Amino acid sequence: MIDPSRSRPTERRRAPAPPPETTGRWVVVFDADLPDPEPLLREAGLTRVATDGQALAGPEGLPADVDALVFPVLKVAVVTGDQERLARLQAPGQGAARVLSVAPELVHRVRAEVPGGWAEYLEGYRDGVVDLSDRLISRGTPEEEPSPTPQLPPWFRDDDASTWGLKAVQATTSPVSGAGVRVAVLDTGFDLGHPDFTGRNVTTQSFIPGESAQDGHGHGTHCIGTACGPLAPGAGRRYGVAHGAEVFAGKVLSNEGSGTDAQVLAGIEWALQNGCAVISMSLGADVTEVSPTYTAVGLRALEQGALIVAAAGNNADRVNGNFGFVGAPANSPYIMAVGALNQQLDVTFFSARSLPVRGGHVDVAAPGLQVYSSWPMPQRYDVISGTSMATPHVAGVAALWAEATGLRGRELWSSLVQESHRLLSPSADVGSGLTLAPQQ
Amino acid sequence: MSAASGGQARRAGAVRVTVVVDEEHRPGLAQLCDGLRAQGMQVEQVLEQLGMVTGEVPENRLPSVRRVEGVVSVEPQHRHRIPPPDAPVQ
Repeated sequence: MIDPSRSRPTERRRAPAPPPETTGRWVVVFDADLPDPEPLLREAGLTRVATDGQALAGPEGLPADVDALVFPVLKVAVVTGDQERLARLQAPGQGAARVLSVAPELVHRVRAEVPGGWAEYLEGYRDGVVDLSDRLISRGTPEEEPSPTPQLPPWFRDDDASTWGLKAVQATTSPVSGAGVRVAVLDTGFDLGHPDFTGRNVTTQSFIPGESAQDGHGHGTHCIGTACGPLAPGAGRRYGVAHGAEVFAGKVLSNEGSGTDAQVLAGIEWALQNGCAVISMSLGADVTEVSPTYTAVGLRALEQGALIVAAAGNNADRVNGNFGFVGAPANSPYIMAVGALNQQLDVTFFSARSLPVRGGHVDVAAPGLQVYSSWPMPQRYDVISGTSMATPHVAGVAALWAEATGLRGRELWSSLVQESHRLLSPSADVGSGLTLAPQQ
Repeated sequence: MSAASGGQARRAGAVRVTVVVDEEHRPGLAQLCDGLRAQGMQVEQVLEQLGMVTGEVPENRLPSVRRVEGVVSVEPQHRHRIPPPDAPVQ
C-alpha cells in the first residue's frame, strides 16, 4: 500500500546514485540451518576454502589461492569466481535450496562528508534565499517555475472489499490470520449474537457486578471487530485484522462505559490465565502520573508472554493548539501506547502527544479516523473515531506477527516497532509509525 | 476516554487501592494478604498472575499498609471512562 513511486517530492529530486563499487567477488548467504557450507562449496568446485577471517588482513588481502572464505557462524561466504562456478552453486540439485542469495561483494567506505567547507555551505544557503525571494517577488509568472509534479501522499479509502484501515496496515495482503493466537479485548463486552461471528471461538467474561458480558454500549463489539473480525463478513466490507485469532472478550467497562482499576486488573489477570498473547485495551484515564501499578502490570505481562496495547488517549485538540498527553495506563513503560492516524497517515486532531516522562510516549500508530466495524445488533455496523479504534488495529497486527514469527512478549513488541512504516509526522505523535502486518 | 476519579469506596474515609507485591513475596501472596488485613485493609481481589492485591483501606491506615513487607506500591484506584455510544470520538 505504501507505493514508493508516490514518495514526497524532496525524495524524488535527488540525483541518481552512481552504481555501487564492487570487488569482483561474490557474497553467498546459506540457509542458517546448514551445519557446514564447505561441502556445498567443494561440490561447486570451490575447493580452496579458508575459514579464518584474519586471512583478509594479509599483505595482499584475501590470498590468491583461496577460492572461498567462509564465516561459519554467519553462514556466509565470500567466493572468488567465474559465473560458471556460481551458477553451479545455485543450480537445482546442487543444494540451491541451501543457498539463499548470491550478490556482488560491495566496497564500503566511511560515509562521505558534506562536500566543501563553511564558505560553500553559506554560499549555497545564500543562493537558496535569493532564489526563493526571486520566486516570491515574481509570483504570477508561473511559466518560469520549475514544476515538479506534486505527488499526493497515500490516501486510503473504504471500498467494497475492505476498510481503509485494513488496507493501510496491509492486513488485506497478509498471508497469516492470527490462527492459534489468543487475543483479549478488555472493553464493554461483546454482542454475543452478532452474525459476523457465528461459529467463531469467542470466550467471554464479565468483571462488572450485575452485568453480563453482553455489550450494552457498542465500543467493545467495535474494537473486537477491528482486531479479530471475519475474513468475509455476511454483509459489507471486511473490517477485521486477525480473522483467525481466538477472541477473549473481557467486560471491564460497564454498559455506561466506565470501569475501575480493579476491574481492568481482573480482566488482565483472566487474559494471562488463558494464555492470551495480545491484550487490547481501548481505555484509559486522563492522568499524567505514570502508574506504578500498570508499570508492574505491563512488565509482568510481557514476562508471561503477553503484550498489552493501550489507547494513547483522545485528549488533544490540535486544531486549537492543544496536543494533549498520553494518559494511564498507556503511559506505562511496558504498555504499548497507540496513536491514531487519518486516511492520509497524518496524526488525527484528537490523538494525544507523548508525555515527556519515561514510558509516557506514543509507541506506534494505526488508523483511528472514521473506522467501520461491527456494532451490536440490530445496527450491525458503525463508523466511529478515536485512539480506541487505532488500538485494536495494532492488537490484530500483533496477533498476525505472533502467528508468523512465534514471538511473544518483548520480542513481539520489538517486531511490531521494527516493522512499522516510518512516517514524517513527529515521533512524539506517532512513535515508530504506522503498524504493518507481515507479508509473504 | 476522559478524566478519572477513584473507585467508590464502600466505607466512609476509606480509599480503594491496588497493592503491587515484590517478586520475592509473589509466591506467598496469601500470607502477605494476612499482613495487609492486619493493617486494616479489606482485601477484595488477589491477582496471582500479576502479583497484586486490590481492596479498600481506611485513609489513615495507608502509611502502615505501605510499610508491610513485600509491598512495592499502594496506589489509589482510577476510574476509566469512554464516551457514550453516539460520540463521534471514542
